Amino acid sequence: MRLESRRALRLRLRDLAAASSFAAVAFSGSLPIYVTVIFIATLILSLAGARPFATRPVWSVVVLLFTAVILFGLAFRGALDLVIAAVAFATLVTGQRMLSDPSPGTDQQVLLASLLLIAGAAALSGDVWFAICLFSFGVFACLSLGMAVVEGPVERDEELPLAPVMRQVSGGVGLALVGGIAFFILFPRLSWNVAARRSGPGLLGGTTGMTDSVRLGGGGDIKTSARVVLRAKIEPPPRNERLERYWVGRHFDNFDGREWRGTGTPGVPRPRITLGDPNGATLQRIELLPAYDSRTLVGLENPVYFGPATALNSGGTTNAMLIRVGEEEVRFAEEANAYTYTVQSRDDYPMLEDDPAVLEGLKTLPAKLDPRVRELAARIVGNETEPDRVGRRLENWLRSNLKYTLELPGEVDDPLADFLFARKEGHCEHFATALAVLLRTRGIPTRVVGGFFGGELIGERYVVRAGDAHAWVEAYSPVRGWMTFDATPEDGRGSQPQALIARLIDGWERVEELWRSKVVDYSIVDQWTFVRSLVRPPRGASGGDDRPDPQAPTTRTPTRAIVYALGAALLFWVVWQWTGRTRRRVHPAADFLAELEKRLTAAHITLQPGEDLEALPVRLRAERHRLAEPVWKAVRRYLEARFGQRPLGKDERRSLLEPLGPPNR
Amino acid sequence: MTWSERWKRWLRPPRTLKITRIGRTYIVITVGVGLGALNTGNNLLYLVLGFLLSIIVLSGVLSERVIRDLRVRRVLPEGAFAMEPFALRYEVTRQKGLAFAVKVSEAGGVVEGWAWIPTIHAGQPVMARADVTAPRRGPLRLKEVELSTYFPFGLFEKTRSFELDDVMLIWPRRGFTCDPPDADHGLQHGELGNQRHRDGSGDVQGLRELGELEDARRIHWKKSATTAGKLLKVEREREDRKQYTLRITSEMPGDQLERACEETAALTTRLLEEGNDVGLEAGGRKIRAASGPGHERRILSALAVLGYAMPERKP
Repeated sequence: MRLESRRALRLRLRDLAAASSFAAVAFSGSLPIYVTVIFIATLILSLAGARPFATRPVWSVVVLLFTAVILFGLAFRGALDLVIAAVAFATLVTGQRMLSDPSPGTDQQVLLASLLLIAGAAALSGDVWFAICLFSFGVFACLSLGMAVVEGPVERDEELPLAPVMRQVSGGVGLALVGGIAFFILFPRLSWNVAARRSGPGLLGGTTGMTDSVRLGGGGDIKTSARVVLRAKIEPPPRNERLERYWVGRHFDNFDGREWRGTGTPGVPRPRITLGDPNGATLQRIELLPAYDSRTLVGLENPVYFGPATALNSGGTTNAMLIRVGEEEVRFAEEANAYTYTVQSRDDYPMLEDDPAVLEGLKTLPAKLDPRVRELAARIVGNETEPDRVGRRLENWLRSNLKYTLELPGEVDDPLADFLFARKEGHCEHFATALAVLLRTRGIPTRVVGGFFGGELIGERYVVRAGDAHAWVEAYSPVRGWMTFDATPEDGRGSQPQALIARLIDGWERVEELWRSKVVDYSIVDQWTFVRSLVRPPRGASGGDDRPDPQAPTTRTPTRAIVYALGAALLFWVVWQWTGRTRRRVHPAADFLAELEKRLTAAHITLQPGEDLEALPVRLRAERHRLAEPVWKAVRRYLEARFGQRPLGKDERRSLLEPLGPPNR
Repeated sequence: MTWSERWKRWLRPPRTLKITRIGRTYIVITVGVGLGALNTGNNLLYLVLGFLLSIIVLSGVLSERVIRDLRVRRVLPEGAFAMEPFALRYEVTRQKGLAFAVKVSEAGGVVEGWAWIPTIHAGQPVMARADVTAPRRGPLRLKEVELSTYFPFGLFEKTRSFELDDVMLIWPRRGFTCDPPDADHGLQHGELGNQRHRDGSGDVQGLRELGELEDARRIHWKKSATTAGKLLKVEREREDRKQYTLRITSEMPGDQLERACEETAALTTRLLEEGNDVGLEAGGRKIRAASGPGHERRILSALAVLGYAMPERKP
């Protein structure tokens, strides 16, 4: 490959490495948008071969210093996180070098600055994207560096085969990755501090259906969204893959005929909020992702306790304060990109309401209620007054007489009447509103609940999608407290994404889960477990019983570790030999020369300093050495074969070498 | 090689490792990432750290593979002028595998310059040329050749030394010249390479007996036939060139001697180019006046060793 082609390839690889490192940072969503725009413009220019800074190195450095002052000034004033400022500056340095005069030295500087970006991305992002970017950066950077090294300090326009270089460097990169993973697994986690996790705002913004109000009308687009908005680890873990349970978010108590709103009054911010007795409750460790995009806390039905919470931003993690807004919701006091918290819920807890005024308010009907609604409720319920039975009758009637649909084009004046008497189809908000209003016409305190329904087990956590957003109803019974009713047909409660997209997102989520559990949250306990599993199997593993006896002594010895180590060493050796194998492209005469040299050494004939092969037989003749003639013949014939295009036959070779004696006397 | 020698060689291999500029920066970043990982417990930083450390280990291993199976032979020129670049050639061969990015240079910095070999295939000798410069006049002892590589990532320069003992003459620096001394009185007797030879094209000066190694074409056969078995030769006068004998003593202090050698060398070149015969008397050694490129090299070589004892090479 000639110099121009080599240089073009090297610069492409370098730019791809820089782009990979930048992508690792950009996927965190933490970088200021102007830095992203500048880098993308730089990348396009560099790929197009433009080097505007090649002729203005001093000015570009001055501009760079100026931006450094601004960025770190912002960081000093607290307007920008220090890590983000440093990463932004490293991005600009990378760009400046990319647009400077290309040389192997400049390439190395670009890649070092990109390495700083990778380190910054490790601090800013915990996503699996980072692994992909790290891998691609490693491959591209190593190949580019390998090419730059072989090019030498001075570029020369001569033919240079690159395939062997690429093969060696690629094999080396593979080994380096394996070594890096081995280091990661085995290096003891002796950290004296624990880093605050960070979270960017996300690239696609929020999509959740958790809004401040429930407004009737319009379609239910959110139900088709497969994006994951929260992850929850539940203890004790439910044993089913699909969680058929309600995640309570907000209660809406005031309906004006078109829209449900809450009327709660915000309380004082507190680190924890107790709503009931948490004894025997189900614990949930919940992570609200940037896609959730709301400050409302959710928990499985009947949350009784909201525990310590943290808010995750680009700058790091802070403890989050919680606010109870009457009976309406519990929300975070401050805005953040993501949150983590614990919540405890009791399925069987009787949530009783003491205040009659509150219950009275939950019977309020909209001012302009179609009279047919009351008549419908009376016709369905009859003389029944017990809230539980009333609720079940209404629920069954709605479910069996009305259809579920997400296609609801156009606006109507009275969406409830339209749903019940005209269109007779709607989505969960229509069903919940209809049930709540019908219940209220019978004098039963009722409220609409916004939250999620469902959840899928991926790894150790349940994930909830934006499409799982749901609305249902709680009705109050003086005997049993708040009871849940859901008139929405069962197939309309959970998310309804396209199968392919859901499968892709599921697959991605599984990878993310693996990445989180095996890499991001890897700890010294995991290391100990891993090493222990290498040395000794789990206790009782050899027993025939399916349930291992924790007291039973292990039956195997550390020889297992030795076998593993030997196996790993053997594997390493095989890989090493395989990567080191090369096709010998030896001139046929070179073997003859090697054999000749061996025999000369065995005959104690060595070249004197400064003496070449051609001069050797001349000296031997002058010294009247006994082997002068055979050496003369052999050397002349070698030179003819090597440089004179006169091949050396097998028999001739033997006849030339035999007079010199055996090679290993 | 005996086992003990192998063991010693394994313990103290003839290798040196130097960190390049980019390597220093790389190590600083690695240390920074390591401290960051320890300080924060961020597993992703541990992952990056593992990768960075693996690259360092890999650099050491791959560079060792590159310089392990190499053999080198030095091809010396007859001589070279001090402070002027000259070509020093190396033949590098490899028995198996491939080698990349190999720099060939002389150990100890005795000459400045190096040769670069991008790729070496097994069994295919590569001849590399280094444009080197010797700093001073005199016999130059070249003891070792160093083969270095930056492969694979340019972070480190690993060097292996090969003992190759050679001596080459560095002639005095060119450039200083002065007015030539007076030409020798009378013509010198003898032709090129022979004190008694006259190879001019002028008038006949006389006849004399043909000496050993003298040109038989100048035999006067008719006169020779009159003598009893002697071969007589015609001597003709040379009128078209002058003869100079340059004199220099080795008893001068260092700088003066250097300057005198440089002037003498420059003068030799100038006079020879003008078509004169030049001889030298230096440090007790006499070279008779003659001409030709070979003669110039003889004078330059005599000047090169003036004031020096020729070092002995290892057998």
